[in-house]
Amino acid sequence: MDRLIEILEDIKPDVDYATCETLIDSHILESLDIISLIAELEEEYGVTIPAIEIVPENFNSAQRIKKMIERLEEEY
Amino acid sequence: MDLASMFLGGSASAMTSFFSLTFLFLFLPPCLIVYAAVPKAAKKYILLTASLIFFWLVSSVLIIYLFLTVLSVFLFGKWLDRIQIKMKAALSKTEKEKRKELKQQFVQKQRKVLLLAVLLHIGLLLVLKYSGFFTQNVNSLLWLMNVPIELEIPKLLMPLGISFFTLQAVSYITDVYHGLVKADKNILRLALFMSFFPQIVEGPICRYSQTAEQLWNAEQIRYKNLTYGLQRILYGMMKKLVIADRLNPMVKAIFDSPNNYHGGIIFLGAVCYTVQLYMDFSGSMDAVMGIAEIFGVKMPENFQRPFFSISISEFWKRWHITLGTWFKDYIFYPVTSTKKMKNLTSNARKKLGNHYGPLVAGGIALFCVWFCNGLWHGSDWNYIFFGLYHFVMILTGNMVTPLANKFFKKVRLDPNCFAYKVFRIVRTSLFVVIGELFFRSPGMGRGFELFGRMVSDFSFTGLNNVLLKKLSVDVQDFIIIAFTLAVVFIVSVLNEKGVCIRDQIAKRNIVIRWCVFYALIMFIIIFGAYGFGYIPVDPMYANF
Repeated sequence: MDRLIEILEDIKPDVDYATCETLIDSHILESLDIISLIAELEEEYGVTIPAIEIVPENFNSAQRIKKMIERLEEEY
Repeated sequence: MDLASMFLGGSASAMTSFFSLTFLFLFLPPCLIVYAAVPKAAKKYILLTASLIFFWLVSSVLIIYLFLTVLSVFLFGKWLDRIQIKMKAALSKTEKEKRKELKQQFVQKQRKVLLLAVLLHIGLLLVLKYSGFFTQNVNSLLWLMNVPIELEIPKLLMPLGISFFTLQAVSYITDVYHGLVKADKNILRLALFMSFFPQIVEGPICRYSQTAEQLWNAEQIRYKNLTYGLQRILYGMMKKLVIADRLNPMVKAIFDSPNNYHGGIIFLGAVCYTVQLYMDFSGSMDAVMGIAEIFGVKMPENFQRPFFSISISEFWKRWHITLGTWFKDYIFYPVTSTKKMKNLTSNARKKLGNHYGPLVAGGIALFCVWFCNGLWHGSDWNYIFFGLYHFVMILTGNMVTPLANKFFKKVRLDPNCFAYKVFRIVRTSLFVVIGELFFRSPGMGRGFELFGRMVSDFSFTGLNNVLLKKLSVDVQDFIIIAFTLAVVFIVSVLNEKGVCIRDQIAKRNIVIRWCVFYALIMFIIIFGAYGFGYIPVDPMYANF
C-alpha cells in the first residue's frame, strides 16, 4: 500500500490518498493522470490493465486501486 | 393537413419536437393513458409499441434500419455469448499454466466478431451520413487535377436518430465483448433499449446497463414521478419556446446574410446562437428526462450547467455528457491502453516528466476523439474544424497549466479566488462562442470569413431599432429573453449548490405548488415563440 501511495503522490502530489474515496468523482485524478498511473502500475506490479478496467469503481481510492491490482494479479 | 393523414408513416415529422402540439396533445397522452391502464406485465410492450409507432410516424419505411440494427446487435451479442460459454467450459478443464494461452485464443475470436460488428454498424453510418461529403471532396480533387470526371453525389435517406442509436448499438456489443453485460436473450428488451421514443431523437446516448432493465421492468405511474416529470418538461419547454425559438429569427438573419453586418453584430449572432443551441438542446433533454421520469425511468443526464466551466476541458465534461463519455470509454481509453501507447507513455514520462509525459499518448488519443466528435456532428469541413478546434484548446490548456501555476506562485496570486474564477468562466464561454461560430457557419471557409470580420471590424455601428426590426426582433424580445435567462441562471446556481428545486416545490402546500405550475404554463403561453409569425424550429441536435 505504501508503494502505491508513493506512486500516486509522484503523479499527483498534495492529495490525502489514505482517506480520499472520490479520486475520480471529484476530478482529482484526470484522464491524463490515469494514463500515467496505469503505465506506472503495470511496470511496478507486472499486470496488464485493460481499458475495460478504467472505471471510477476501480480508481476512486487507493484501496480500490490495490484491490483491482490484486484481482488482476490473480487472474493471470 | 387533416388529423387522419398525420398518422400515416413519415407524415408526422413535427413530432420530433417534444414541444409540438402533435406530440404533446395527440401522441403522449394516449401513450400515458394506455400505459397506466394495462397491467404491469404489459407495460413494457406498450412502451415498445409506442416507440415503434413514433419511429414509424416520423421516419416511415426507414424504420427498417432500426429493425436491422436491433436484429444485428442481437445476433452479434449471441455470437459473443456462445464463444464466452465455450471459453469458460474449456478453461475449467485446462490446467492453470495453460489457461492464459487458451484464453487468449478465445479473446482473439471474440475480437474478430467485435470488429466485424463495429465495422458493419459504423460503416453503415458512414455510408449514409458521409458518402455525399466524400463524393463532393473527390469531385473537388478531380477538378483541381483537371480530370474531366464528375461523380454523381449520392442522396441517401437517413433514418431519425441513426447517429444516436448506432453509438448505443456499438456500446452494447462492446460491453458484451468485455463481459460487462450479458448478451440479451430477449430481442424485444433489446429493441426497447435501442428505440425508446423520448431518447431516439437527440439522445442521451445510454449504455445497456443504464436503462435496458429499467425500461423492461416498467413501473406504474406514480404521483411523484408524474408531477416531477411534468415540471421538468415545462422547464424544458420554457427554455426552448421562450429563449431558443425566440432567438432563432435573429440568428438565422445574421448567419444567412453576414455580409450586411459589422463584426460586432456577427459576434452578437454567435453569442445568441450559442445560447439558442444550449437552450434548445438542454430544453429537449429536460423533456426527455421528464417523459422518462413519468414512466419511472432514470436516464443519464446530458448537461450539468456547462457555462459554469472554468476550462474547455471542464466544459465538455458538462456539455453533451453522454457523447463525451462514449468517446472517452470507447475511443480515448482503448487507444491509450494499447501496448504501444503504454510504452510511449512510460518512455515519455521518464524524459518529459509527470505532466508532459502522458500528454504525448494522451494527445494522440485526444486527436482521435475530437476528430470523431467533429465528424459525428456533421458531414462538412466546418464540423471537423469544430472538433479539432476543441482538441487544440484542450491540449493547449493542459500544456499551459503548469506554467500558469508557476506564474501565480511567483506573483502570489490565488488561482482559486472568485475574480479569477469569473475571468476563467468568461474566457471559456468566449472560446465556446468562437467554436459555435464555425459550427453554425455554412462551410469552413465561411466560418473563417465571419471570424475574420468579427476580429477586424468589431463594431456595433448601426445597432438600432431599424436593424433589430430587420433581424426580426425588438427590445421586448430581449427583455423577455433576459428575464427568462435570469430564471435559468438562478435555477442553475441553486442546482450547482445541490438544491433540488422540485423537492423544494414539493415541500410547499398545494396552493403554492399549483401556483408555480400555473405560473410556468402561463409564462410559456404568453411569452413562448409559436403561432402566426413564427416558423417552428426542429430540435437542433436531431439533425446530427
